[in-house]
Amino acid sequence: MMTTLNELAYTRSGDKGDISNIGIMAFGPAEYEALRTWVTPERLRSFFAGVVLGPIEVYELPRIQSLQVVLHDALGGGATQTLRFDETGKSMAALMSRMEIPTALLTNGVTG
Amino acid sequence: MKTVRMGAGSGYWGDLLEPAIDLAKRGELDYLGFDFLAELTMSLLQRAKRRDPGKGYIPDVVPWMQALLPITHGNGTKMVLNGGGTNCEAAAEQVLRVARDADLTRLRVAAVTGDDLTSRIDEFRQAGVTLANMETGERSIDEIADRIVSAHAYIGSEGIVEALGGGAEVVIGGRLADSSVYVGPLMHEFGWSFEDADWDLLGAAITVAHVIECAGICCGGMSSQWKNVHEPWNMGFPIADFRQDGTAEISKLPDTGGLINQWTIKEHLLYETHNPTDYRMPDGIADLTTTRLEETGPDRVRLSDMSGRERPEMLKVQIGYTDGWIGEARVLLPWPDTMAKADRCEEIIRKRLDIVGVTPRELRFDRVGVDALAGPLARRPRRDPEEIELRVTARVASREEAAAVNREVTHVSTIGPVGTAFGPPVKPREVIALWPTLVPRDMVPTNVLFEEI
Repeated sequence: MMTTLNELAYTRSGDKGDISNIGIMAFGPAEYEALRTWVTPERLRSFFAGVVLGPIEVYELPRIQSLQVVLHDALGGGATQTLRFDETGKSMAALMSRMEIPTALLTNGVTG
Repeated sequence: MKTVRMGAGSGYWGDLLEPAIDLAKRGELDYLGFDFLAELTMSLLQRAKRRDPGKGYIPDVVPWMQALLPITHGNGTKMVLNGGGTNCEAAAEQVLRVARDADLTRLRVAAVTGDDLTSRIDEFRQAGVTLANMETGERSIDEIADRIVSAHAYIGSEGIVEALGGGAEVVIGGRLADSSVYVGPLMHEFGWSFEDADWDLLGAAITVAHVIECAGICCGGMSSQWKNVHEPWNMGFPIADFRQDGTAEISKLPDTGGLINQWTIKEHLLYETHNPTDYRMPDGIADLTTTRLEETGPDRVRLSDMSGRERPEMLKVQIGYTDGWIGEARVLLPWPDTMAKADRCEEIIRKRLDIVGVTPRELRFDRVGVDALAGPLARRPRRDPEEIELRVTARVASREEAAAVNREVTHVSTIGPVGTAFGPPVKPREVIALWPTLVPRDMVPTNVLFEEI
């Protein structure tokens, strides 16, 4: 069984140059653990294939049960030169929220 | 314990004015801060200044000061803004003119300069500063040297502290870092110095500044909480009560719209901050991972345990340079066969561009309503949508080529499928690309110029 990230967390994205970042804010401890396990640079690389061309980093903020995803070469050159309608990648967070995540990660969660 | 009360009056050039007026009137603020600058803004302002040496500041500064100065001058709230853009002196003159027009007296304004490095590129090169692109790693700035429009360092709080210490009621700077608009007043009020700094306190100041610097965007604007945001059209901008012990409460005025809760603050802590243990600003490096949040009341969140490290030796510089043009045009396609019509139009436009000899370095076709936001991640619709906007954008070398793209897209309404609707044309726009780099801070001294009536 799979669920979507949208069911586990809020997301919001912003930009700096050609870097898009997505804040992922888990609804609770179990969701945070599941996301921490599942949302890796490798999975994001295949998830954002064709959109994100550069390196990907994921940072953990356990005190606010959130992840910070940083996507390089993600906005077609950045707001001032991109051909994207969404020059600043505000909608990148919405794409992120579609990611599928196994529900087993939640039921087996350590602190659920 | 001493507390400094700061309000955010603007998060970007073009932000709402009413919340700033409300804060000035009812906020009982010590300071009202304003960030007007985005990454591209300095290049646009530099060009405005080239066309007219009296321009180059954020034009909104004039109406904003007209509305705010008579209020703040009466109640003692000081204002710090980066609306000086590329011409702080002219902006300061404008502030004084506004004050005179409003019959205000005994008002001191300070302009903070030193951020403009546009004419100093060679000097940095000769001093051995590589000016490598910190985003792409490209080292050779020589390739873009003859196309540079502007170069500005993100400067810190030194000038603001000096200006406030000198009795300025309004401090207007150029590319002051967004956070410094708030960190500067805290340093002045608490008597902090960089020589003998408590970097955790500076980290806390930077963190709090970051939370409020985009104004309404930490108060339920641009928020995942949008369904529960009260009257966004009456948005209340944030207030930070920063205590001497390095804790702070974020709130907003009663009877305003918006929402402040743990989620709106979390989403802003994460907003454009990248590596959370290394949030680099000219005044220090904040570690956002130690921050604790607590909802202490309706629309009220407390931040504690914030921390930081010594400020970086290098300052970030944003160099803007011209890099070709963008041509853009769009047509609107009606059902039936919307998807097939879009495909046909794309084919026609590609062929026409070939025929007229325009070879864009990048060409993009968006089917708005289908894939303009999701791109390759979009799910192809099972049924033909009611309508599709085909948006065509091309990166080309010249204004003429950009205009040609526009013309060829327009042609599909006469040589393409029946029902193809076209609207008013979009103007070609010149691209100013950005080259972020680093320079040693000791090569970027700031100056403070006082003027008064």
